[in-house]
Amino acid sequence: MEIEQKQNRGFLNTVKWIIPVSLLSLSVLMIIFNPDFQDSAFKVKSKFSTPPAYVGKSGDAIERLAVRSARNISVIEEKLNTLKPVKPYIVVNTSENRFSLRNIDGDTIRTGVCSTGKNELLIAGNKRIIFKTPKGIFTVRNKQQNRPWIKPDWAFIEDGLPIPSARSAERIDYSTLGDYALEIGNGYMLHGTLYQRFLGLPVTHGCVRLGDKDLEVVYNTLSKGSKVYIY
Amino acid sequence: MKNKIAFWIITLILIMLVVFISVVTVIQPVFTKNSLPKAVVRSSDQKEKVAKDKQAKADKDKVAKADVINSSDDTVSSSDGSTTSNLNINKLVELRRKEILFHSRFELASDDSTYLILDLINNTAVLELKGIVLHECKIIHSEVSNSFKSYPIDALLNWMSEPFVLKNVESTIPKITFIEKIAPKDTLEANKMVTEPKEIKLEDVFIVMDFERNLRVVISQSEEPDPDGKKIITNLRRKYDKIEISRSIKALTKFNREPVKPQIEIVLSKSNATILYKALPFNPRMILRL
Repeated sequence: MEIEQKQNRGFLNTVKWIIPVSLLSLSVLMIIFNPDFQDSAFKVKSKFSTPPAYVGKSGDAIERLAVRSARNISVIEEKLNTLKPVKPYIVVNTSENRFSLRNIDGDTIRTGVCSTGKNELLIAGNKRIIFKTPKGIFTVRNKQQNRPWIKPDWAFIEDGLPIPSARSAERIDYSTLGDYALEIGNGYMLHGTLYQRFLGLPVTHGCVRLGDKDLEVVYNTLSKGSKVYIY
Repeated sequence: MKNKIAFWIITLILIMLVVFISVVTVIQPVFTKNSLPKAVVRSSDQKEKVAKDKQAKADKDKVAKADVINSSDDTVSSSDGSTTSNLNINKLVELRRKEILFHSRFELASDDSTYLILDLINNTAVLELKGIVLHECKIIHSEVSNSFKSYPIDALLNWMSEPFVLKNVESTIPKITFIEKIAPKDTLEANKMVTEPKEIKLEDVFIVMDFERNLRVVISQSEEPDPDGKKIITNLRRKYDKIEISRSIKALTKFNREPVKPQIEIVLSKSNATILYKALPFNPRMILRL
């Protein structure tokens, strides 16, 4: 009887150790699995990291490599320069609705606010019309003063008006585009606006609207063939 | 006596388990040669072919000449030799870094796509298109995995020698949002729909970008997020931690851990992080300068 009691007590003594040992193991596992712990282990490895292959090379070989690198750099630099625009250009930031007009050296001539696409999807029956400013690189195709706007179908759909015929006089609007307009293709333009108070906000149907004074400078600086970068 | 044996067996099993896991998750990848995945550097012929396909016409032969990585021409003119006689290895490394940057820039500038340059030496993040800087912002803080430090510089340079292509991205902000509007039936309805445009409030930003060659770039904002944003960011962070942990656990079953996943975490202002993310195309390419 006494022996049996002793055995039971011994068993309980053993069992009570299982819990702390398990918890300890679990915590060690959690630490080991932690990505931060694994990363800190690499810190240890970095102390014993192998030297670069260049170390074993002779001075001449290093010089040769350096000269080749320097020569390649100048070759590529030259080629990169050939990609640079040959005329002043404009960069439009659609996230902040800002523009920066730059000269051929990349120096900023003028910066300011503008308005870009409102990112709207107009649903008219089966038609889906997206109003957003396209991103990428464009070229000024045409420049015009006091250019009338030939309203597309969506302008009537948006106003709840019946769509007139293609050659209807109703489509011609003389005031919306402001004093100057620079076409960049696919119907998109840099132009003026009647809504100066909305400059800096995304309100357009895809064109880039500029303030009167900014537009004048942009119009006079950019010429046909100038690049327009929109991001 | 039996219980004592049971106790020691259990303890021994647990200790063995811990040792096994630590070998697989830490010791094996860290203390064995777990090299960085190498960049697939295209040969000049392949480059020319790609250039043909993309109609990057006139200066195609110049591109081939500019193939800096695979160039086998070791001949150096004697006049150049004297100017570089004092160059030490550090200078060579600097030159190689610059060469890689220029090479990658030229390669990406040949396309009509916006790309990102992450320059951790000058602490700048630059958006470029056709070699033109569209947007440049300061990296407020950056942290780089220790695994980067454990590799020789030439291995790292080789790893960075080609632009990285984005494989997967997850972000707390959408790339683009469209407001849906049903066209009005008449002018009366159209007038009712007219609302004054409002300033857009910037959402809290946290972006995880997984590039090829196992590179992970995490972009977070310097501003304190609002409570809702904080919750979303924490959840996203936890999600990626869980993924890493499950990778480690999977490795247990195979005893063959996947290659190291070096991570770069950069902190930008909220507006700059938003601009970069929204301006990049869906599968952007990135140049890393480290």
